[in-house]
Amino acid sequence: MSAKQTIAARAALELRDGQIINLGIGLPTLIANYVPDDVDVIIQTENGAIGVGPAPEPGCEDRDRANAGNQPITLVAGGSYFDSATSFGMIRGGHLDATFLGTLQVDGDGNIANWIVPGKMLAGMGGAMDLVTGAKSVYIVTEHCSKDGSSKLMRRCTFPLTGAAEADVIITERALFRRRPGEGFVLEEVAVGYGLDDIAACTDMSYAVAGDVKLDAYGEAPPEQA
Amino acid sequence: MPRNKVIPIAEAMAHIRSGMSIAVGGFIGQGDPLTLIDHLKTMDVRNLTVYENDAGYRERGVVELVRQSKIRKIVASHVGTTPEIGRAMNEGRLEVEPTPQGTLAEMMRCGGAGLGGFLTPTGVGTVAEEGKQLMELGGRQYILVPALRCDVALIRAHAGDTWGNLVYRGTSRNFNVPAATCADYVIAEVENLYTLGELDPNAIHTSGIFVDAVVRANIDYCVVREEALNG
Repeated sequence: MSAKQTIAARAALELRDGQIINLGIGLPTLIANYVPDDVDVIIQTENGAIGVGPAPEPGCEDRDRANAGNQPITLVAGGSYFDSATSFGMIRGGHLDATFLGTLQVDGDGNIANWIVPGKMLAGMGGAMDLVTGAKSVYIVTEHCSKDGSSKLMRRCTFPLTGAAEADVIITERALFRRRPGEGFVLEEVAVGYGLDDIAACTDMSYAVAGDVKLDAYGEAPPEQA
Repeated sequence: MPRNKVIPIAEAMAHIRSGMSIAVGGFIGQGDPLTLIDHLKTMDVRNLTVYENDAGYRERGVVELVRQSKIRKIVASHVGTTPEIGRAMNEGRLEVEPTPQGTLAEMMRCGGAGLGGFLTPTGVGTVAEEGKQLMELGGRQYILVPALRCDVALIRAHAGDTWGNLVYRGTSRNFNVPAATCADYVIAEVENLYTLGELDPNAIHTSGIFVDAVVRANIDYCVVREEALNG
């Protein structure tokens, strides 16, 4: 399993039957591949559909049926389409149970920075600011470190924010942190192949360690140990 | 009887003049009014300000007008699908005002609904609040966002009748609905044109009350299929 697959598989275990969720572009989209068999979730896409189903067979793409990343989609029975003002009414109005987003940076106060790297080509925030503000739970699903090895879990975000104090759960290929009222982020799970010291060494964000922290909680043992 | 608003594209588009503000429907190619944009490419106008979710997809859409230096400023939520926009911005040829997607949709909706503006929690504590008034209501912070009114709106629908009642298809509905309401002169390109009474009144997404001109869409662009082919 790649790091991204490990993250997506663990994130999927957070899903509860009947939840309505929005998956960001990229890594978060993979979560749909790992939804447990006994869990039924409804996927909203902010460009205007609810009830997103599996990708269509090649050749069966519909020109007017795509997600916010322009990937062709299908709709499950009971799904529907709507306009952008209605879609963001759903999102800001608290009608989504959870949103799963990647990030550039996240910090111990729950600040999220995922829409712009100063000095780099501008893309834009898209619907991310609305999603982190409106969804009941905000999951940050991200690789623990940047390509240069620095921690994406920062002491303090340095890039412009997407949302202030909005992150609820951080899931990386190495660890899971959950923000608890009055306590900040708490390390609840450590993935196979890592120890508490490893997590401390690669995490700039301040956090507490849960009394019942689970070691070897998810992920797969590296091949050489198997 | 509701009057016939089907007119030649040149007559409709002649309402656009230099310096105007234009709301554009569509979402990175889904439901983009490409017939109208193609016509605008042939017109001698400059200094336009465009309000749209994005600037199109790859080389297609409003980005083509940026390449022609017709546009001064774009207010959009995401321009990452059209690299030319970033280049134009970095070279000082274009001003881009990033705006949260839900905020942009609601600016259009409020402008079309006669409201002065709205209070949104989106973007509090971020650059989205820069230059805007903050208000506290019920213990929560909000950004006061003024409503949007534009000179012209360009939209696309799957079906329309001669009075401008419109039906969209799938995820091509998106910003076409709010954009249709917020401009003084609204031009709709329709893929399929019907006579009065042929469209089911229960199924109309945009009432003809909002639409000033109807033209036939002649661009058959399928961004989804292109994406599937190009990966």
